[in-house]
Amino acid sequence: MPLGFLVPLFLVGLVGVVVPIIVHLTRKQRADVVRFPSLMFLEKVPFQAESRRRIHHWFLLSLRAAALALLAAAFARPFVSDDAIAGAVGVGPTERVILLDRSYSMAIGERWSEALDAARAATQGFGPLDRVSLVLFDQSAAAAVRSTSDASRVRSALDTVAITDRATRYGPALKLAETILQESELPGKSLTLVSDLQRGGWTGEEGVQLPEGTEVQTTLVGVAAPANVAVGEVALTRDRLRSVERVTPVARITRTGGEGELDIQVVLEVDGRELQRRTVTLPAAGAVPVAFQAFTLSNRHTRGAVRIATAGLSETELLQDNARHFVSSPGRATGVLLLDPPGRGDASLYLRQALAVGTGDGFRVERVTGGVPGAETLAAYSVVFLDDRPFPVGAEGDRLRAFVEAGGGLVIAAGSRGGWSADRSDFLPGTLGGVEDREEGRGGRLGYLDYDHPVFELFRGPRRGDFSSARFFRARSWQVPPGDSVRVLARFDDGTPALAERRLGEGRVLVWASTLDAFWTDLALQPVFVPFVHQLARHASGRTDVLDAFTAGQILDVTDARAMETAGLGEIAEALASEEGRIALSPSGASIDLPAGDEPHFLELAEQGFYEIRPPGRSDVRPVAVAVNVDLAEADLVPLDPEEVEASLLSGGGTSGVGAGDPARARELQREDRERRQSLWRWLLVAAFVLLAAETVWANRISRSGVRTKGTGAPQGAQG
Amino acid sequence: MSPARAQFLDPKVLARIDNLELLARTVVAGFLNGLHRAPHLGLSMDFAEHRAYVPGDDTRHLDWRLFARTDRHYVKQYEAETNANVMALIDVSASMSYGSDPEGLTKLDYARFLTACLLHFSRGQRDRVGLATFDDDLRDYVPPSARNLDLALHVLDRARAERRGDLYPALLKAAERVGRRGIVVVVSDFYEEVDRAMEALRLLRGRGHDLLVFRVMDPVELEFPFADPTHFEDLETGEQMPVLPKKLKAGYDRLVSEHVAELEERCTSERMDHVLLDTSKPLDLALFRYLTIRERKARVR
Repeated sequence: MPLGFLVPLFLVGLVGVVVPIIVHLTRKQRADVVRFPSLMFLEKVPFQAESRRRIHHWFLLSLRAAALALLAAAFARPFVSDDAIAGAVGVGPTERVILLDRSYSMAIGERWSEALDAARAATQGFGPLDRVSLVLFDQSAAAAVRSTSDASRVRSALDTVAITDRATRYGPALKLAETILQESELPGKSLTLVSDLQRGGWTGEEGVQLPEGTEVQTTLVGVAAPANVAVGEVALTRDRLRSVERVTPVARITRTGGEGELDIQVVLEVDGRELQRRTVTLPAAGAVPVAFQAFTLSNRHTRGAVRIATAGLSETELLQDNARHFVSSPGRATGVLLLDPPGRGDASLYLRQALAVGTGDGFRVERVTGGVPGAETLAAYSVVFLDDRPFPVGAEGDRLRAFVEAGGGLVIAAGSRGGWSADRSDFLPGTLGGVEDREEGRGGRLGYLDYDHPVFELFRGPRRGDFSSARFFRARSWQVPPGDSVRVLARFDDGTPALAERRLGEGRVLVWASTLDAFWTDLALQPVFVPFVHQLARHASGRTDVLDAFTAGQILDVTDARAMETAGLGEIAEALASEEGRIALSPSGASIDLPAGDEPHFLELAEQGFYEIRPPGRSDVRPVAVAVNVDLAEADLVPLDPEEVEASLLSGGGTSGVGAGDPARARELQREDRERRQSLWRWLLVAAFVLLAAETVWANRISRSGVRTKGTGAPQGAQG
Repeated sequence: MSPARAQFLDPKVLARIDNLELLARTVVAGFLNGLHRAPHLGLSMDFAEHRAYVPGDDTRHLDWRLFARTDRHYVKQYEAETNANVMALIDVSASMSYGSDPEGLTKLDYARFLTACLLHFSRGQRDRVGLATFDDDLRDYVPPSARNLDLALHVLDRARAERRGDLYPALLKAAERVGRRGIVVVVSDFYEEVDRAMEALRLLRGRGHDLLVFRVMDPVELEFPFADPTHFEDLETGEQMPVLPKKLKAGYDRLVSEHVAELEERCTSERMDHVLLDTSKPLDLALFRYLTIRERKARVR
């Protein structure tokens, strides 16, 4: 058991052990000195030579010497340097970060309990100078305990932590760990990852740069890649039957890791009632679509779910992904008003037919010939198309302008008659000129598309739509003044603008320099026409597809009207804006207050299921529902190789070695840590004081006995 | 010895007399009166003439042969010898400064008084007196002379015991300077090995001097009455040593006795007179021994 000393210089004090001996042998009792003529005879007496060097009180001398030795040793701050005893001292004070995966895949079997045990085990053996952080992560990461020297705080946090419904993402957690480790000044750094190591959470582009010398340990919990059955995406196809909206759900059932075929039952629930049940035979690994019969969508915020009956599933089945929830409301189609010029027949046929295509919320298209309807009628629409028709003058023009400023969209297809007077140029982009024929060759083409704009963003990338094949034989000349107010989204190959946008108030105006039929261009005959028109109308309306469901972990800003409208929760934002508060109930029953006002209020959708939002104290009102599903990426339970994870992390700068960085400083801190942990000096001091106390008692006892036995005094010393 | 005379010879009383000459005269006169001897009783005298007897004359000096022829009483008168040298060598080493009794005499004081008395007495005998002090060297030297008594007493009075002592080199120098044969009195405590002390004394004896050795010791040195463990410091060397007297006394007494006995025996064997003096005892013993020795020597002569 090797013994080390933190301040060995104090061991010089051990020389003090001989002080009592030297004093004993050489001390000159000057107060009792007898001056004698000569010591000639005294020195010849054999006894005196012996007695002079004789130690009479061995016990007293031993006490004094031992006390001095203990004092010297205590000040030298001893410690036992045996590694077996030193235990988990390692490189000395260590910054430890424990990453605990709490994604919903950890609920499989005994994974969670194993993970907690592993995390608790990682908190063992902490020294006074060690610090530990507990980072809980799923698709996000949060430090439950950050850089504390009190390991009990970590253990307490582990007692209360629970699994979430979110998926696994290693990036945020590793980044947070990287930050903690980099901010630490301790020489030792350790990262312990406790997870089921789902491959789906690892992108390989985490970009983690662990500090030099970080020791990485990965703890894989649970059975690797158990069999799993999950409900994948649920597609909701809408159609109308006699003005009644119907929804046809088609669910995708996936199976991984199993053997042989498996028959399962899939249930469709609407508003909490089982509506349909299907029996599906799943292959060993693969996906099977399950189509349910259409159901009538009569109520707003109708809650639906596709579930897998758990009977027959293995014990290690992941249950969280066995259901998909959705919310659907009727009447979510985007209203489009086509203001056709009178006397032109069905000029907007191509446009109308293109907008009618689609299975989503779609467009509700109305065609009007004649004047501009009133403001109330306009308010029922999101987009107004002016096809080959001049911009109205007077009150009609003002209504359209007010419609746009209120958030509506106006799309002008110039055609031969389109245009506007100069007094409208303050909100209409540029000035339209005359008709230009492009009969040279095979007509003009679109030479530039702004793929960064939402209208054309869909067509970015290969095989995402080919506008180059469209021919433009005629178009209006168009002067667009440079400036920030007008954005040219497309140009012909001669550089003249083909499509431009100008924002006005909350809405926007888009001008198309050609037509949206087959007279001036064959674009309407191209495959990209339908999606182009959809994108044009959708962008002009300012609306996006209403989401049927959210993913656990997403956060809603309930005061953001546009975002809430997109989420199908526009009425909530309106209510909050009009000083009507709301209460949200989570799937687990937790109440979340959503007070009125314009200040941002966030609703974190942490649990899968249905969040209900209703006015406080009103149970008679059908609540607004928000469906939340787990991230399906978590359903892929194929794990990573722990060594692969460690290798990837170590390649970022960490090492599995110990003592990197400043080795000398690390060793010094290690010694200090051992010494402080063992604190042997305290015991040595106590022992020294005990010995000194014993020495005092013993010495007094000897002294008293000496006084009692003292004889006559010595003769006087010499004179002059 | 009467109580009054004894009082004057008591060392504690003598210690209170500052004048060394007065002290010597007092001591010698008192001593001689007690002996009822003639003041000029000398042993080294030649016949000078006869004179008629008067009462009070010492009957030992009657010339009985002349009485037989003349039937009258005549006493012989002698002419005192005046050319005898008496040289006192006084040890003034630091060990002579020891005195166990604060009210008593140190060994040097005792030696000083003794020497003063001897010189005074000798001068009364018409001797030439001289004095030398020594420690490890010859310090003061007063050559023998009929007129040097005062100087000798003065030197004796201011003698101080301060240095280490070494008999041989000191007595070697003294032997070289004392030319004419005479009586040499050595007063010392003789803290020397006997062999080396005898070598030193032999230096004087070998030159034909009559050697009288007075060894002065304090009663504590002789009795060693210490009881408690303590430290002893050598007055000459300053060396200290812890001593357990109870354990040491027997060995010390034995060593001192052996040393004294051996020195005395060696002195006697080499025809030196050795007298051990205790500083707590009166001086008359020393003086008596001195006179006895002088008388014996005269008789032998």
